[in-house]
Amino acid sequence: MRIFKLIIGLVLMVFFASCKKNKGTFEVVDTPSYGDNLNKDKTKSNIEFHSILSTNLFQKPSSINELTRTDRVIQSCGDKTLINEVIISNYMNSANVKLPSRRMMVDSTERFVEETYIRFFIRRPTEAEKTWFTNYINANKSNPYFRPELVYTAFSASDEYMFY
Amino acid sequence: MPYIIPSGRLFGRTNAPKADYVVMVVFGGGLRQQDAILQRYLADSQQYNVEGNILYNILEGAAPSSKIAYGTTPAGQPNGSKPIPKILSQSIQKQGTIFAEMRAISGGHYGGLNSLITGSRVEGQGLKVRPVNPTIFEYARRFAGYKATDTWFIGNTISNSVPLLNSSKHPDFGLTYGANFFAPGITFGSDGYAALANAKVYHPQEELEPTYKMKNFLDNTFNIKKGDMPGIRNTDDEKIRIREFIANTFQRQASGQIPMPPVSGGDGTTIGYAAEVLRVFKPKLLVVNLSNIDGCHSNYTGYLQSMHRADHAVGFLWNYIQTQIPEMSGKTIMTFAPECGRNYQHNPIKDENDWYGYDHGDANSLRVFGGMVGQNVPADLMVGSEVNPVGKVTDMTLTIADILGFKDEVKSTGLVDPEAMSLFDRI
Repeated sequence: MRIFKLIIGLVLMVFFASCKKNKGTFEVVDTPSYGDNLNKDKTKSNIEFHSILSTNLFQKPSSINELTRTDRVIQSCGDKTLINEVIISNYMNSANVKLPSRRMMVDSTERFVEETYIRFFIRRPTEAEKTWFTNYINANKSNPYFRPELVYTAFSASDEYMFY
Repeated sequence: MPYIIPSGRLFGRTNAPKADYVVMVVFGGGLRQQDAILQRYLADSQQYNVEGNILYNILEGAAPSSKIAYGTTPAGQPNGSKPIPKILSQSIQKQGTIFAEMRAISGGHYGGLNSLITGSRVEGQGLKVRPVNPTIFEYARRFAGYKATDTWFIGNTISNSVPLLNSSKHPDFGLTYGANFFAPGITFGSDGYAALANAKVYHPQEELEPTYKMKNFLDNTFNIKKGDMPGIRNTDDEKIRIREFIANTFQRQASGQIPMPPVSGGDGTTIGYAAEVLRVFKPKLLVVNLSNIDGCHSNYTGYLQSMHRADHAVGFLWNYIQTQIPEMSGKTIMTFAPECGRNYQHNPIKDENDWYGYDHGDANSLRVFGGMVGQNVPADLMVGSEVNPVGKVTDMTLTIADILGFKDEVKSTGLVDPEAMSLFDRI
């Protein structure tokens, strides 16, 4: 009987000393981890570049036939930046291109700048970059020609966008 | 007026220029000496005793009198039975100087083009890489201070590393001094039409200027290394001009306004777009590469037709410069040479006429001819002969440098064939 009580006591001790359910909450916290431009040292191939760009502008990828054709056209021109700019202008003439509104760019300039950097460069702008672009957009508010399309063209044609 | 040019010199020109503009036509693909300047037609190739000159815009000499297969093909007529009428009233041989027996450096394609464009012997040069030694474009831009739109390379293809010949990978030269390049068959063909023709035409001041200002800011915050440049660079103003050129070219193409040789297609079309570039940009140096003659590997009849059409296209180009571009008329020298010749012995491939094809690579394929015509070029002069070879294809780079006034600068780099000379110095 004494031994039995001892065993019961031992079992109860083990039971109460065992693991308890943790009441704390462990979840994934949204912590954006955008990089910088320092490690972008690999050039995108023509096909990679336009695959990413068309997905960016149209929200859907181009067909491999379109990409191969575009690749040939880029190879046929000596100034790759220039020919990319013309191809981008060709994209911009499409009714399917998805661009933010001018109102959004003008009314929420800082947000527009930040989103554009993330969209094209997969990084946040530095304070200097944000300040320059915000000032530049604000300075062109009265220019009716100045539209998000031009900002997107500048980002698409930039050196940084050619690298990853 | 002295000015500082990219080489850091106060005066760019080290010898008196002979002309303001140079156009070089390269017969890429290999032109067999016997069939071309020796005017043997089928006699030295197909065992038919028919001789004659099928390059009658370039050379003096009577055309073949029988077995006519080098012309165009009217409906219902035998293939190639109608010779193309001569364009020039006086052949280039009469107007200028022909080097009847020159030597090529390489019997292969890329090596041949490379030696013409760089003036070097191109040992150890692989395919799919830019030339090891600087091209004539880079010498011109660095030593004469030309901008990118002053120098153009018009290629017939994007294959065979042709698009890489507008600049070398030499650390002291490279893309910074490279030429603009178009392969018109692609740029202005169906591929280019789909990718470029619908491009928005932006207002230069209201739209392009702010776009470039933003792009330049972005580029200044990203430190691209020189070796990573994907292509040559034009200034913003030059880019605006080239964008206009592309847009206008599609419009002029649609309305049939591109200046094409009367018989075009293939190399003729390439020459037509080269003429359009000359008309618009009036570049100091333009090199155009043709290559349809390389069909000789498997189709001798097609090769004869391509040779004849290339001669027609060259005649058209020279005539166009003289009559349609007043700024260049009388101030231009045109040079020409094949990248190599073709073999002495035929290969086993027969065409529709049972004529054998010819490859290139043996000693005979190092036999070529070349020439030049225009301002300050002696007229009606033939230099060298079968038994007295004079000149090498590597002379072309120094010849162009001589014409534009920076020959000594190029020589002093030590990067050209040590035996190369300006063709003017060979006369």
